[in-house]
Amino acid sequence: MGLKAYLNDIVEAVVTTAKGMRITARYGVDPKEEVTLQYPEERWEIPKGYRGFLHNDIKTCTACNMCVKVCPIDCISLESVRGADKKMVLCSYDINIGRCMYCGLCVEVCPVNSLLHTSGYEMASVARGELILHFIAAEDAPGIKARVARQVAEAAVKAAAQAAAKAAEVPSSGTAEAAKVAEAAKAEAAKAAPKPEAQAAEAPAAAKAAEVPSSGTAEAAKAPVVEPTVAKEGEKKE
Amino acid sequence: MTIRTDALPTQEMTINMGPQHPSTHGVLRVILTTDGEVVTRAVPDMGYLHRGLEKIGERVTYAQYMPFTDRLDYLAAMNCNCAWAWTVEKLAKIEVPARAEYLRVIVCELNRISSHLIAFGSYTADMGAFTPFLYAIRERERVNDLFEMLCGNRLTYNYARVGGVSGDAPPGFLEKTKEFLDYFEPKLDEYNNLISYNKIFVHRLANVAVISAEEAVAYGLTGPNLRGSGVPFDLRKDEPYSVYPKFDFKVCVGTGERGTLGDCFDRYMVRINEMRESVKIVRQAVAQIPDGPVRAKVPRLFKPPVGEAYFRSECPRGETGIYLISDGTVNPLRLKIRTGSFVTMNIFEKVTRGLMIADVVAVIGSFDIILPEIDR
Amino acid sequence: METLAISLVNAVPLLAGVPLWTVTLLLMVAVAAVILVFALTFEGVGSLVLRKVAGDIQARIGPNRVGPNGMLQFLADGVKLVLKEDIIPANADRLLFKLAPYFVFVGSFAAFVVVPFGVGLIAADLNIGIYYVMAVTSLVVIGVLLAGWASNNKWALLGGMRAAAQIVSYEIPVGMALIPAVLIAGSLSLQDIVRSQGGLLGIFGWNLFHNPFTFFSFFLYFTAAQAETNQTPFDLPEAESELVSGYNVEYSGIRFGLFFLAEFGDMFIVAALLTACFLGGWNVPFFNAGTLPWIWGNLLSLGVFLTKTFTMVLVMMWVRWTLPRLRVDQLMRMSWKYLVPLTFVNLLGVSLWLLVFRGKGIPGMIASLFG
Repeated sequence: MGLKAYLNDIVEAVVTTAKGMRITARYGVDPKEEVTLQYPEERWEIPKGYRGFLHNDIKTCTACNMCVKVCPIDCISLESVRGADKKMVLCSYDINIGRCMYCGLCVEVCPVNSLLHTSGYEMASVARGELILHFIAAEDAPGIKARVARQVAEAAVKAAAQAAAKAAEVPSSGTAEAAKVAEAAKAEAAKAAPKPEAQAAEAPAAAKAAEVPSSGTAEAAKAPVVEPTVAKEGEKKE
Repeated sequence: MTIRTDALPTQEMTINMGPQHPSTHGVLRVILTTDGEVVTRAVPDMGYLHRGLEKIGERVTYAQYMPFTDRLDYLAAMNCNCAWAWTVEKLAKIEVPARAEYLRVIVCELNRISSHLIAFGSYTADMGAFTPFLYAIRERERVNDLFEMLCGNRLTYNYARVGGVSGDAPPGFLEKTKEFLDYFEPKLDEYNNLISYNKIFVHRLANVAVISAEEAVAYGLTGPNLRGSGVPFDLRKDEPYSVYPKFDFKVCVGTGERGTLGDCFDRYMVRINEMRESVKIVRQAVAQIPDGPVRAKVPRLFKPPVGEAYFRSECPRGETGIYLISDGTVNPLRLKIRTGSFVTMNIFEKVTRGLMIADVVAVIGSFDIILPEIDR
Repeated sequence: METLAISLVNAVPLLAGVPLWTVTLLLMVAVAAVILVFALTFEGVGSLVLRKVAGDIQARIGPNRVGPNGMLQFLADGVKLVLKEDIIPANADRLLFKLAPYFVFVGSFAAFVVVPFGVGLIAADLNIGIYYVMAVTSLVVIGVLLAGWASNNKWALLGGMRAAAQIVSYEIPVGMALIPAVLIAGSLSLQDIVRSQGGLLGIFGWNLFHNPFTFFSFFLYFTAAQAETNQTPFDLPEAESELVSGYNVEYSGIRFGLFFLAEFGDMFIVAALLTACFLGGWNVPFFNAGTLPWIWGNLLSLGVFLTKTFTMVLVMMWVRWTLPRLRVDQLMRMSWKYLVPLTFVNLLGVSLWLLVFRGKGIPGMIASLFG
């Protein structure tokens, strides 16, 4: 290596080092260049649309099961019974946010916008079980089922009575159709009849329990969608 | 560095540059056989991060698979999301609205910037200069802020959908993007002054692991690794997809400015220059973006026609190609993902022969591999 | 130390019955304890300052939770290291493994003896000061080699070998770059070197401005010393991202703490030598600190010395956070092909200058023009 190249090496090393040191010196003395956000005293302002923890407004939820079907990792599980008005009534709704990957597919498919993302991201727990959010408390489920069964039974009895009344009204001329309607009404009455007896044993015992969960669910439903802390309290009450 | 065969005979040492190592960019195990400091053989042992992503594809639907593509290359998640969306749209011949395509290009290029920032930052950190890594992270956080505003998440975006994107840009997003670009462009000059042309850094990278253009093509390298060897092949220009033909940008090629053409320094500079070009593309996209819907109507239980499609897109780490076979049901029959990092590992053993251990680190950094792409 | 002991015995009548050698010995132990406390405090605070400086340069805040503005972080670190489990690898050579940190620490700490802190503040004003420092800091090589070998770990071995090669190769430029200061002062004793930079020229009496060759040798010594103390850009032996911490990878707890502390101790020694040999040491500009009463003179000169030394330590940290690291063959090349020839040329230049100009520096010649 010639002398010129040798000296060039040295000069280049010194010059590039000096350039770099000038930049780091500027950063070293300029106090505006600190970009640290000192969590937890300072917090990042969460933008609208942030995909945080999930919250389901169970009053609006129609238990259509779309969220359950679309979740790629099966974190959502729900249980529902068919109510008196032929609509599904939610008995339990669990989301395992420890497994959830916050992809947002479930929120996207919800047809009634009851399942939404909140801005929550802090739920450090010591046990994995704590990361399963129960939107309906576990002990409320039998009560709801009992209540719904009771309503269905009452509706069935009313329907049977109506059908019987209708059968009585129908004149004997249109016999074929009338006979069919009367038979259908009698079949319904027969179907509806055993149900109240079966549920009779459960009903008084569960009737009391049925009163309590309505307050629990109301509270969980009252929890506003976007405030994570309130929602957390409402759900963790088990 | 050559090994002198007439010198005192010494024993070769087998060292494990194990899965837990600060410089292997993930859980890559390299079994090094060295003669002192000089490597005689370096065999990569992959598979520590294999999650069966291709098998998962066979049991979920097309829409459900989108979040899994996030995890394919988590530093360039938008690119992988869009690659999947484009593949399915090619198979089912779905027309995507213009605004959605523009938004896809914007997020893909922004993600290219943030991915190259990590490549740059972690490379300099491997070389011992810890400071540029933090500057790169700072810039990347700003890109993440933009994405958080757009889709709600900072790393696993799940933004693209079959037929468009999940949601339109909120008001203020395009202005904030322009602000970020104005803030970021001068930073590249600062990085060049600080570290890129620093004599020590240049000496570490120049003439290390020279890959000629023929070798690069023969081993199937793609992306910046290929362009660093002087081959001007960029899928965005040579097989254009989406709305890339509407943008004016250069293909960045290695020039051998500080050493031989095709060495680590060229690959590094290609990435720095690509960031500049991405800034140009995003500026043009933000200026040209039309109004309109952002999502085409696609049935909920989407059943594409029977057939197969292969779509390849230019991801920051090379060409990501997805080969999709559909049998007409809601789940794909088979999908195969071809990633740039996996194919780059082909040349690893050849290129590291005769290098020193410190150079092996330089080579891994210059290839910009990422393990989820290699192991899937 | 003997004179101090004699004056102490004269001052305190209680000690009249005690033999002189006991008093001298006790005095030596006391001084060593004071220096140890100073060294440990500096090393602790130095690690904290390093992290804060790193934070400032890297656009972030360093530690700021423990104590006001993070000032007690080093105490927390020290307590943590002491309380950690002492893990010795299964097939490690136990004796050598335990011995290695002590060699490294002693190699760094023993050099504190000849550091001229103030006008009368020096533990032992050896008349071979510079030789002593160079000899004693070479103990570090043994320690590092032992650590690398005894860890029974290939990465540690590589780190140890690299470290040994590096430290040994950079001994020569370090020595050669310090010799100009010795030539100007005419003595190896550090106090003499410092005193030779005092006088009426003030700041321009510093060896830095004496002649262009000493100016050059300041930077050569700075570079070589950065390598001696294993700082980036020469921190291959403990390259975090390549060798996963090199020779101290298997060390945990306070054994690791000793390596860590020794690094900062070395930094202080290097900065102290820089200050003493090139930046005027404890000399207060245009003022003779010896004229003040003993305690004030010493305090003032101590303050000046520490200010200069800490500034040099900060500059070393600044360089550390800017530059990437050299590969081992480039490092050896730099030492043997660049620093060694340059320091030899430098030495020749200084010798010729002193011969031609009869020992006068440029500021001295300018001053004599004005009478």
